[in-house]
Amino acid sequence: MTNQTEVEEYNYSVFVGSEEFVSFRTLLPVGSSAPDFQATLLETGQPMKLSEYWKKRDVLIEFGSLT
Amino acid sequence: MAKEFARKNIDFIFLYTREAHPGENYPAHRSFEQKLAHARAFREHFKVERPILVDDLAGSGHNLYGMLPNMTYLIGRSGKVLFRAEWTDPPTIEYAINYVFQSRSRRRDGLRLAPFYAEFVGYRWNDPAKFQEGLRRAGQQAVDDFARTTQRWQKQGPRPGRIELSE
Repeated sequence: MTNQTEVEEYNYSVFVGSEEFVSFRTLLPVGSSAPDFQATLLETGQPMKLSEYWKKRDVLIEFGSLT
Repeated sequence: MAKEFARKNIDFIFLYTREAHPGENYPAHRSFEQKLAHARAFREHFKVERPILVDDLAGSGHNLYGMLPNMTYLIGRSGKVLFRAEWTDPPTIEYAINYVFQSRSRRRDGLRLAPFYAEFVGYRWNDPAKFQEGLRRAGQQAVDDFARTTQRWQKQGPRPGRIELSE
């Protein structure tokens, strides 16, 4: 269970610039197995595993937010 | 682009993360319901037709993939990462997908092709006016926070993990 402080740290309320550009380079190089996780499909509100997509077809995933 | 490639057996999905530039209108998420509401607003505003998946409040999925604000991954049916980029840039994605499809097709035609690790520098289209418009949509705080951070970057010099090229 993730604690409240970690949740608030992740969801920062003031932008100070991403520090993750350095670690990104070594995290999941091409050829790595994509880690699976569950997220909520907005359309239905149902949980969905990412692997459900790549089991059937190639999948292009864009990460982002409104802001 | 999503529609064009849909014919070629590729799904495009959007993974909704934390707010990169929180402001008065779209502050940092403090509940999952709020995150869902922001994702709905995003869908309406940009008329997004791709399926939108919303990560949990703690960003568990985002964390597994590197936490960058607008990155892209192409994952093959093998479950392997075939292409990834720090930023989402449509022409770069199109280039990568076409390369993968062409390689597979040549392989199917009987050409002996061995997969190998490769990297290249991407060039993304950067529109400051459009970016500022996005910040204003989030609220004045987002505009101010970004301006303050930019000033700090300028004082600090080259930023670690960033590529700078003059050509």
